[in-house]
Amino acid sequence: MEKFYKIWLVFDPRRVFVAQGVFLFLLAAMIHFVLLSTDRYNWFEGNPVGGAGDSASLIDLGARLVTMV
Amino acid sequence: MADENVSFTGLTDEQAQELHEVYLKGFYLFSGVALVAHLLTFMWRPWFAGPEGFAALEAVSRTMIG
Repeated sequence: MEKFYKIWLVFDPRRVFVAQGVFLFLLAAMIHFVLLSTDRYNWFEGNPVGGAGDSASLIDLGARLVTMV
Repeated sequence: MADENVSFTGLTDEQAQELHEVYLKGFYLFSGVALVAHLLTFMWRPWFAGPEGFAALEAVSRTMIG
C-alpha cells in the first residue's frame, strides 16, 4: 500500500481525475435513476411500507392511519 | 541521458507522494459519505429480502410501528 503513490508516475493525474470523476458521476446518476424507477426505493413517492408485492395504495395508507389514531 | 527523477508523467517521487496524500483524503471522504448514505438507506429499507420476500420484513416493522 505504501508504494501505491507510484501510480502517479505512470498515469497522468489530470486524466485519471477527469476520467474517474466522469465515471463515478455517470455510475451514481445511473444507480439513482434505477432506484427512482422502483416502488420500494423511490424516495419521492414515499410509499411508506410498500415495495415488491405489497400494494400500498392511498386507501391502504388511510386505513392504516385510522387504525393508528 | 534523461534526469533519473523524471517519470512517464513528469512527476518526481516527492510530487507523486504529495499528490497521493490528497488523493487518499478525497477517497476516504467520498467513501465515508457513501458508507453513511448506505447505512441510512439500509435502515430505511433493507435490500436483502429473504426467502419470504419483502412482505415478511414489512410485517415486522408494521407490528412495531402499529
